Amino acid sequence: MTPGSRRARFHWLDLVVLAAVAGFVVYVFYRVDSVLVYRWDWSVIPGYLFRWDEETGTYAANLLIRGLITTIRISFWALILASILGVLIGVARTSNRLLPRLIGWGYVEFIRNIPPVPFLFLFYFFISSQIIPLLGLRDAMESLGPNEQAVLTFLFGPANLIENFASGLISLAMMAAAYVAEIVRAGIQSVPKGQYEAGHSIGLSRTQILRQIVLPQAIQRVVPPLAGQFITLIKDSSLVALISIQELSFLAMEIAISEQRFFEVWLSVGLMYFIVCYACALTFGWLEQRMGRHLR
Amino acid sequence: MRASQKPLPWWRAPWVDVLQFLVLAAALAWFAWRGANAIDYRWQWSRVPAFFYREIDGEIIWGPLIWGLQVTLYIAAWGLVLTLAIGLIVVILRLSDSLSGRILARVYLETIRNTPLLVQVSIFYFVLQPILGINNPLWTGILCLAFFEGAFASEIMRAAINAVPRGQWEAARTVGLSQIGAFRYVGLPQALPLMLPPLTGILVNLIKHSAILSFIAVFELTTEARNLIGDTFMSFEIWFVVGAMYLAITMTLSAGVGLLERRIARRR
Repeated sequence: MTPGSRRARFHWLDLVVLAAVAGFVVYVFYRVDSVLVYRWDWSVIPGYLFRWDEETGTYAANLLIRGLITTIRISFWALILASILGVLIGVARTSNRLLPRLIGWGYVEFIRNIPPVPFLFLFYFFISSQIIPLLGLRDAMESLGPNEQAVLTFLFGPANLIENFASGLISLAMMAAAYVAEIVRAGIQSVPKGQYEAGHSIGLSRTQILRQIVLPQAIQRVVPPLAGQFITLIKDSSLVALISIQELSFLAMEIAISEQRFFEVWLSVGLMYFIVCYACALTFGWLEQRMGRHLR
Repeated sequence: MRASQKPLPWWRAPWVDVLQFLVLAAALAWFAWRGANAIDYRWQWSRVPAFFYREIDGEIIWGPLIWGLQVTLYIAAWGLVLTLAIGLIVVILRLSDSLSGRILARVYLETIRNTPLLVQVSIFYFVLQPILGINNPLWTGILCLAFFEGAFASEIMRAAINAVPRGQWEAARTVGLSQIGAFRYVGLPQALPLMLPPLTGILVNLIKHSAILSFIAVFELTTEARNLIGDTFMSFEIWFVVGAMYLAITMTLSAGVGLLERRIARRR
């Protein structure tokens, strides 16, 4: 039980673990095969990943892959939006004046203490009924030329779904901004006090100190947790399925119901999320290690 | 001369900031109200108390929001017990010498960490519930939440155990304590105060995440709210009330965690 990096070896605990895992697997197989009499049919999945396009004569992405792309798109843009909002709030939370601190505190505590699901429902109601019609996104996008539309489709998805996409994106970004704000605040506060005093003593104003001394140092410390926030966003974006945003989880629900293949669809979708998130985690870890080596 | 050494003018006093903040909050609320009126929303606040309780013939009958709250707290309480159990098992496997134990713990942690909770809930509900023959969605939900939070609990426990200096373990072994004895008498008493505050934070997370169980047929607070909205179309009133209920519970708990943290910090 003593912690430490002692070498692993085979002993009685292995027997317990292996027996437990084997018992579980055997039980699951027994239940599926003999009690539920379930016939696995994985052949429905590939058809939802890619489909044969008759017009162009090539394979094209079908619902599940398109859902995954929407998930990544929404997470990426939500991260950008949340970063902008989060930096403002994070800076406000470290302000000398009480008012910005109170506003920042109010926002962060409000978001962090209400569960995401009720927040999304309430917020979606506001956004979809008040803000989205005001923006007129769909008309604006459809009035553009085909080239511009192709670029925007690549970035934000097709025009007929743009309002749906935007409301999910804004809700998600509002939630993530609270967490980004805390990351930024921690980054700013991790800059030693002496740096402020040094800036002050050479006659810089507070804005100058923030812009030229504190933020450049804080950014280095903020980037790794922000990268982690991207993975969190990919996972949290599944929640917007509950407000009918057409991303991976939402499409999974629809396919599972229409095909009546709950086992196969949900396990595949879980695997898809896992592959994306784990790949991101490994990449970010590797990058962080390289950056750390460079800084040292 | 530094600005902070001058006496502040009256408009820089803290109460002015608080006042400005309150005015801002009021303005925000007013805009929300105006926005709702603009879409011809009919406010029916007078019907809200009936969702909490009704008095019929001098007898109090609890309303759907109170039932929902009860279920939410039930989920959080049992979820916490199971979370701690799972976290403990995983941390033992993770820190053990056993290779298969370590692999199992790693696979579990990475799986939980890299998939969304909604997908985990779906897999528990649509796949594991029929396979394992669980009859009650409520317990499927509790089990799923416990597995989700168990990953975080185990990491908290691991961090706390690793924070106990290595010399302490070696000293305990040197004076002749067994492995289990070293853990029980030397490691645990030092690790426990470190892990207590973040573990209480898990209770807050359990309450927050239990709202996701409204996706499956668990009748907790959010589900009751959604059903009520389906019946009455009073979306704003009900979401505001439910949001305030969650806010009240989680903020009280968070304040409790902060108090605990400070008390432990003072004792050390």
